[in-house]
Amino acid sequence: MIDYDSQLKIQAYLDGELPEAEAQQVAKRLAQDQEAVLLLSELRNTRQAMVNAQAPMALPETREFFWSKIEREIGRQESPQPAPRRNSMLAAWRRMLVPAGAVAAVGLVCMLSLVSSPGPRMETALADSGAFTYRDYNSGATLVWLSYPAENEFADSEPAGTVQ
Amino acid sequence: MTEKDYSTTDDQTLVRAAQKGDMTAFEELVARHRDKIYARAYSMVRNEEEAIDLSQEAWVKGWQRLAQFQGESGFGTWMTRIVINLCLDHLRKQKRQRSESIDAMDEESGGVERQMPVVTVNPTAGLERGELRQRIDRALGQLSHEHRTVLVLHEFEEMEYKEIAKTMGCSIGTVMSRLFYARRKLAALLVDLKKDDLGMT
Repeated sequence: MIDYDSQLKIQAYLDGELPEAEAQQVAKRLAQDQEAVLLLSELRNTRQAMVNAQAPMALPETREFFWSKIEREIGRQESPQPAPRRNSMLAAWRRMLVPAGAVAAVGLVCMLSLVSSPGPRMETALADSGAFTYRDYNSGATLVWLSYPAENEFADSEPAGTVQ
Repeated sequence: MTEKDYSTTDDQTLVRAAQKGDMTAFEELVARHRDKIYARAYSMVRNEEEAIDLSQEAWVKGWQRLAQFQGESGFGTWMTRIVINLCLDHLRKQKRQRSESIDAMDEESGGVERQMPVVTVNPTAGLERGELRQRIDRALGQLSHEHRTVLVLHEFEEMEYKEIAKTMGCSIGTVMSRLFYARRKLAALLVDLKKDDLGMT
């Protein structure tokens, strides 16, 4: 049985990692010890199999696609990061709510204007998108609804709508 | 505006141009070496998606560290070192997240490889290259990442023990021991695969 140190030396001999003196000692042993020869042969076969099996591999992505990802990542890492803004959540909500509210209001007006009967109607003035007018021609009632808070004394003292 | 055609320009000139900020030159370098970098990542992590991500990360790092490349080795070799280091970090992180492999415990508990009978017949003799690749591939997949890495660095990258030790952050003795275990285990696995194919199990 070959001891562990000698096993490692046989491997180092195969890999050309031993100093000259030690390499000569191993060569001497190999000339006398069949077990050492068999171990060397196994190690050599495995090494050779690995080298022979080395296969060229192709990256499974196109040149353009792979490069576009690298280019984007380089750009992302090189561009200065904007400083985080305060109340960024609130600001993000506001940014989403303003256009969504406007779209909803326009949609509502369009739907109501499609109704051709002289029944109740909803209108909004282009000059003031915050004011909505409800008209019922049958009962002769008009209701103006302001979506923003009142800013003057008169509005503060009156309800939100004005009845004609 | 016309794009420069770098297809016939040598690597050295491309590197110099890329060091001055020329992205087209760098793109040409990526195109030339991307398969090798991917192959090395795959041989270490053995997962296609992870290998693609790691090779992409290596290219980004390569661009960022391009000023440090002095040309002592070839550009492909330099890039290979970058991807190897990224793969090693990735594998270490993965290992921390799971329990130690049986292979690693074997190595530390005295080494079954010392008692393994010597494989007297070459288990890959007479195999065609494609078959040989498949068998080696399957056998490599059964090794722990430490043993696979030491084999890849030694047999594919032709690194010396000292260089492997430096790359893997361990002693030369550990490299020798891991390489010995990996080779002996690989030989035993190849014998098993041969028996499987012959219907002997």
